[in-house]
Amino acid sequence: MKTKIMTLCVNGRDHRFEAPVNRTLLQALRDDLKLTETKYGCGTGECGGCTVLMDGKESICSCLTLAVEAEGRHITTVGGMTRDGELHPIQIAFIEEGAIQCGYCTPGMIMKTASILANNPHPSEDEIREGLEGNICRCTGYEKIVLAVQRASQMLDNSQIQKSGGMGQ
Amino acid sequence: MSEKTYVGKNVPKLDAREKACGQAVYAADLQLPGMLYGKIVRCWDHAHARVLKLDLSDAAKVPGVVKVLAPKDVTQKNYNTGVLDLMVPEEMGQLLGDIEDQRIFTDHVRHQGDAICGIIAESEEIAEIAAGKVKVLYEPLPVYLSAEESARPDAFQFDERKPGNRAFQLPEQMFPGNAYGWGDVDVEMAKADLVVEETFYLPKVKQCQMEPHAYVAHYDQTGRLNCWTSTQMPKCVQPKLARLFELPISRVNLISTTIGGGFGGRLGMVFEPETCAMALAVPGRPVKVQSTREEDWIASESRHPGKYWIKLGVKKDGTPVAVDAHFTSNAGAYFSHSSGVPFTTGGWLTGMYKYGAIRYKGDTYYTNQAPSGAFRGYGNPQTNFALEQIVDRACTELNIDPVEWRKKWHKGVGDDGWCIGVPYSSCALDECLERGAEAIGWKEKRARYANQSGSKRRGVGVGVMTHTSGAMPMLLEHTTCTVKMNEDASVVITLSCSDLGQGSHTVLKQIAADTLGMPMDEIHILVNMDAAGFDIGSHASRTTYVGGGAVIKACEDVKRQLIERAAIRLGVPEEDLEIKDRQVFAKHDRDKRLSVMEICHTGVYNFTNPENGETNGVPGQITGYASHFPGHNSPPFGACFAEVEVDIETGEVKVIELVIAHDIGRAINPMAVEGQLQGGAHQALGMTLTEETCYTEAGLCRNNSFTDYKMLGPTDMPKMTTILVEQPDPIAPFGMKSVGEAGPVNPVGATANAISHALGIMFTEAPITPERILQALSEQKVA
Repeated sequence: MKTKIMTLCVNGRDHRFEAPVNRTLLQALRDDLKLTETKYGCGTGECGGCTVLMDGKESICSCLTLAVEAEGRHITTVGGMTRDGELHPIQIAFIEEGAIQCGYCTPGMIMKTASILANNPHPSEDEIREGLEGNICRCTGYEKIVLAVQRASQMLDNSQIQKSGGMGQ
Repeated sequence: MSEKTYVGKNVPKLDAREKACGQAVYAADLQLPGMLYGKIVRCWDHAHARVLKLDLSDAAKVPGVVKVLAPKDVTQKNYNTGVLDLMVPEEMGQLLGDIEDQRIFTDHVRHQGDAICGIIAESEEIAEIAAGKVKVLYEPLPVYLSAEESARPDAFQFDERKPGNRAFQLPEQMFPGNAYGWGDVDVEMAKADLVVEETFYLPKVKQCQMEPHAYVAHYDQTGRLNCWTSTQMPKCVQPKLARLFELPISRVNLISTTIGGGFGGRLGMVFEPETCAMALAVPGRPVKVQSTREEDWIASESRHPGKYWIKLGVKKDGTPVAVDAHFTSNAGAYFSHSSGVPFTTGGWLTGMYKYGAIRYKGDTYYTNQAPSGAFRGYGNPQTNFALEQIVDRACTELNIDPVEWRKKWHKGVGDDGWCIGVPYSSCALDECLERGAEAIGWKEKRARYANQSGSKRRGVGVGVMTHTSGAMPMLLEHTTCTVKMNEDASVVITLSCSDLGQGSHTVLKQIAADTLGMPMDEIHILVNMDAAGFDIGSHASRTTYVGGGAVIKACEDVKRQLIERAAIRLGVPEEDLEIKDRQVFAKHDRDKRLSVMEICHTGVYNFTNPENGETNGVPGQITGYASHFPGHNSPPFGACFAEVEVDIETGEVKVIELVIAHDIGRAINPMAVEGQLQGGAHQALGMTLTEETCYTEAGLCRNNSFTDYKMLGPTDMPKMTTILVEQPDPIAPFGMKSVGEAGPVNPVGATANAISHALGIMFTEAPITPERILQALSEQKVA
């Protein structure tokens, strides 16, 4: 297989590596960059375990995306959600609502949630459920995940209010 | 209930933070120096065939291939992935006909996905390329997909030890007449005013844990075989691997990785034997085996499908005079859990209601489907689909309210549980039924939906269940626990219980913290198979109940030693001392006290006075230990209510609401209990409405993917209300009873009964798909 030197920007950092041209983004993340937080669940875009964000808003299945297609884009994995050791409100909401059991779907769920809330900061319950279709969880029955997304939406709202208050002063 | 600091609180899971950050390490995430990649080469084109010729020469020539392994290159010993051999005495295993019929690589393919050889290569890609170059000549053999087919006298015989391809039936020596139950069913059945009888069909449903099976194994320079696995049963897999590869247990190091869902799918061994065989072939280099989803699907175990015939006789007033039942299950290609599941399936049946007489028969036949095995509930969802529907049929015919019937006839305290001779210690089913009925609006909706027109029909249904907390007395129940007190009085608890994600380690830590009177954040749970003692594994809904019992005993052992030492130092009799707020106090003189830290510190830093040779207090680091065998199984009960809407034009079923009332005894962590019930309900609704692994006539799997095998998604799931009924069990630790395995059980019966209420048609085949509904509706019109 022909190889290519690629550069991927993941969580704000550029990574240069050589890999076969047919590398999926998921393989590149896990095998070449050793960023194993993004999970393999099916390899065919059916489970959403490998969901990452592209350019901050769009959620994609990294198993269906070639690494070369992701060059020049900003990729965010769940590893990029934490800032200076502080958890992102979505992560806090998932922990506190009991939305995590085995945790294997969690990285994908959190990135899907980030995409849902980036595009629609105040989703209804139906919109949340529709947004989560495509990400499979076999542990929770989705109930607590939906609650976590609702709570994350509120928490992000509050932090926005705090931020804008701060700017106003 | 006494007030506790942690027990009863919604403590977030210990590992939730690392999981939320993507830092939990699953087996597939491991990267070890010098690691190689193993590929199990499987038969994809046949469900039953003999390997006439296996040519690995081209595969071996692929650059980067380190080794190719034919069946003769690995151990020829037979094994059974199940663990009954460790759970019952040898004589009982023989009585049950438990056999070892699997091999690492086989020349007799018994199901699609059977492993025929192995490739070890420098990369996953190379291993896959080489796998594509393996040449195999097969002789196809006849394919059987049901017990009816394989039981035919002229059928190919899978195993000479199992004539007629019957892998199991209840053995005559233990169960006269090959039946489990009591009373004379024929005599009692004759007294019935109404006899209802049906044969129910149960589908082959898959655990679908989100982490596909993956392992790393390494035969290291010290001669130890290390295996990283997300097994539910590390302390059973360890001795089974030791036996298979003829090593002492001390040379098999099992390292538990984060478990990405289990649900029974990681009970016993899965692909550990293949992975370890590869590691043994390349000493000094770790080998990773990552299954694809398709491989996981076709080559690992599922719930037992089968036919469940049941006949219920009742008097006009509803008195259940007799039940006759026979569950014929499909073992698939190997023995595995062939004895366990048919037995417990009957246990859940006999344990539920006060029948005058009951006769349950259970047997299992080999077929060329993927092997059946353990799946959360272990026969209980199957029983629930049949039993709860047949009960409702009788209630409908006699015009008896199904809730009232269940309240009157369910078993309770003092009655025999699922194991005859072990009575129920507690039962809060009445409260579950009452509160559940109230929450769903049972009476009002039951009446309102009695006569409907229009294309969308609503119905409400109820389903009850009982389960178990650990498998005592049928199976070994044993968990050990060590509690080490550090010199600063912080605590390390060593155990080998698995946490499948349900939060068992969190719950065990809550229990430890309250038993010791210590803050949770000063307690660490260490799971290390070299350091920890035995534990039978995370199965049978046992970890909180039995593991909790072990933790309490080991913590009590620590407290006893603290008091013993404080008594000497304070000159106060032991019985006058108590521990509170990390101090040992004299009950009648609060000034006489010694801190726990002081005692622990002195035990470690114990100096001898050179002048008089005396020590400062009692020397020795305090360690508590328990090897716990529970005396009971405190079964939980539960009542589930479902409301559905069925579109009679399309056959589509929408579950509107589920109310799940569970007899938890005492919820150690209510949020975790809710999570078990909600997640269990998802699996139950799937089995009832959409999930089934299907095969072509040639025995090839038609739906080994999440697109073709439909699990309910977030938009399909109903509103779920959970009610935790807390009536502490008198003999259970903290009054707790189990929940994990109960989850996927009675939403099955409740939902099926709700559909039946909506349409006036009972569905005997699961899943109840739109096709089956439309078919039944058209037949009803014709009739």
